[in-house]
Amino acid sequence: MFTVDIKSDVGQVGVETTHNRGFTPEELSVDCANKIISISQSADPVLRQQAEAFKSQIQQIVLYYMKQSAKSERTTIYNLLLNAGEASLAEHIRRL
Amino acid sequence: MAFSGNYMCTSFKTELMTATHNFPNSTGNTFKLALYDNSASFTAATTAYTTSNEISGSGYSAGGGTLTNVTPTSSSTTAFTDFDDLTFSTATITARGALIYNDTAAGDPSVVVLDFGGDKTSTAGDFKIVMPTADATNALIRIA
Repeated sequence: MFTVDIKSDVGQVGVETTHNRGFTPEELSVDCANKIISISQSADPVLRQQAEAFKSQIQQIVLYYMKQSAKSERTTIYNLLLNAGEASLAEHIRRL
Repeated sequence: MAFSGNYMCTSFKTELMTATHNFPNSTGNTFKLALYDNSASFTAATTAYTTSNEISGSGYSAGGGTLTNVTPTSSSTTAFTDFDDLTFSTATITARGALIYNDTAAGDPSVVVLDFGGDKTSTAGDFKIVMPTADATNALIRIA
């Protein structure tokens, strides 16, 4: 008689929450780098160290562009509010 | 009754053999993630989405959020699929766990039960479910 064993697994999810604010670019960039680069716990220590350094560089690059994105978004919102006659509100956005 | 761990629903395993579920990113079924309080009693025997003990609050609607599928693939002898992270924005909610279910298939059949390990709360903020890396050792759904 032949049998085939199949094993199924459910991965571990995490939950991150904020209070009275959204996630910062710093927090999001860490999640982003973790998605891009996964380093095995059993990897060779030297390779692991190199991978961690590379991951840190990736996070810094992602962080830079996330901050640029946030600034550009604020510029767009500022102009939308200004054109809608909400100069005071637009100024609040500009000062963020 | 309470959450007691993560489970791949037994009915889901059966339904994999009857082509009930389809996971590809652009052409697959719509999967949703619903949040529950600790009065929910999901186990591997859970078969479908239910509104019983589903949470409510600002920034959350009954039925939960729609997930973005990661197209199934394989590495070595392990096949796997996953979802992108899901964020409930500007939400004031507390949840103890979640149920992922197929919103396309008849009867909203369940896929996996997720236990957060404790109550998680956001207050006028973001409530983000961080999915594991989509690889053969970490992905949410793996078949080896």
